[in-house]
Amino acid sequence: MKRDPIIIIVAAMVVTAMLVFGFHMSRRQSDQARLEGSNLQGKPAPDFELQTPDGKTLHLSDFHGKGVLLNFWATWCVPCKVEMPWFVELQKQYGPQGLQVLGVAMDDANPEDIAKFAKELGVNYPIVIGKEAVGDAYGGIPFLPATFYVGRDGKVVDKIYGLKSRSDIEDDVKKSLAQGQISQAQSQKPSQN
Amino acid sequence: MVAWLAFAQDDIPGKKIPSVTMSAPEIVSITRGKPGTVSLHFRVERGFHVNSNKPKSEFLIPTALKVNPPTDIIIGKVSYPAGEDKSFPFSPDEKLNVYTGDFSVDVVVRPLASVIAGKYAVHGELKYQACDNAACYPPKKIPVDFQVKVVKGAAPVRRNPRQSPHIHS
Repeated sequence: MKRDPIIIIVAAMVVTAMLVFGFHMSRRQSDQARLEGSNLQGKPAPDFELQTPDGKTLHLSDFHGKGVLLNFWATWCVPCKVEMPWFVELQKQYGPQGLQVLGVAMDDANPEDIAKFAKELGVNYPIVIGKEAVGDAYGGIPFLPATFYVGRDGKVVDKIYGLKSRSDIEDDVKKSLAQGQISQAQSQKPSQN
Repeated sequence: MVAWLAFAQDDIPGKKIPSVTMSAPEIVSITRGKPGTVSLHFRVERGFHVNSNKPKSEFLIPTALKVNPPTDIIIGKVSYPAGEDKSFPFSPDEKLNVYTGDFSVDVVVRPLASVIAGKYAVHGELKYQACDNAACYPPKKIPVDFQVKVVKGAAPVRRNPRQSPHIHS
């Protein structure tokens, strides 16, 4: 049986177009999922439940009403090690004003090593052991450090990937302390009526 | 201006995904029962560094090769190059021992004397953890595959026993 070459060419083109379309759509869907996680600015910070190295459970929502500096880090990340002493200082300086630094360790080191690392750096804020699902909720965390600044209202004020200067970090701390303060003050204001 | 922009974009952490690649290794002929060395050549992408095999801190992840040889092929010493002590903008006072650019790892391979001559595929993986000037990327493994050609040794030279100069009757 002889087949028309034009039909074969058209069929091949249709199959190719369908494959390209399918590939494009699947890529778009995965990009969309990541975008939803990474495009958090102004949106509520995803809540999570994670364990500290000594087994206590912490939720992000435990710190509602505070400005939260949520830092994703790892023991193998040298730039993370550079900024952790700055977080210690900022926690001392701005803690009384409502700042809460929270470190999420995103590595496979055992909890004892994570605690030892944090102790060596004099960390004075809680550390929890991260999970991939939490990283995904925050946009995938493709590299470290990654820091999210959460306002007192629980919404993401800013996100910073990679190491930034101490003054940049301090500016974001001030922003997270300021966000939600006005609305909170308004809700606490006694009624004039 | 365009060049500066390209450079600036290279400096943005996460703009590029770090990669370590292995160039296609030569097939090394090794006489069975004897050791031979296979050199594996790797390249760290520009703008990134990986820890050497002996980083300066216990918390840093060393670059390490793991080889799973076929039966009758023994893997001996794996030799890593010395890293370079370098400081980076994120920590100018601290020197890290790293590999950048090209580096080679030598693997001693010894086929058992009983192995059948021929080509043997050896598989493994290189684990590394890369950083750029402002961020670090999760540890990664790349497949490492190479072949060795096991050859028979030269036939031993048979020497006739020395003839006695004396005539025996």
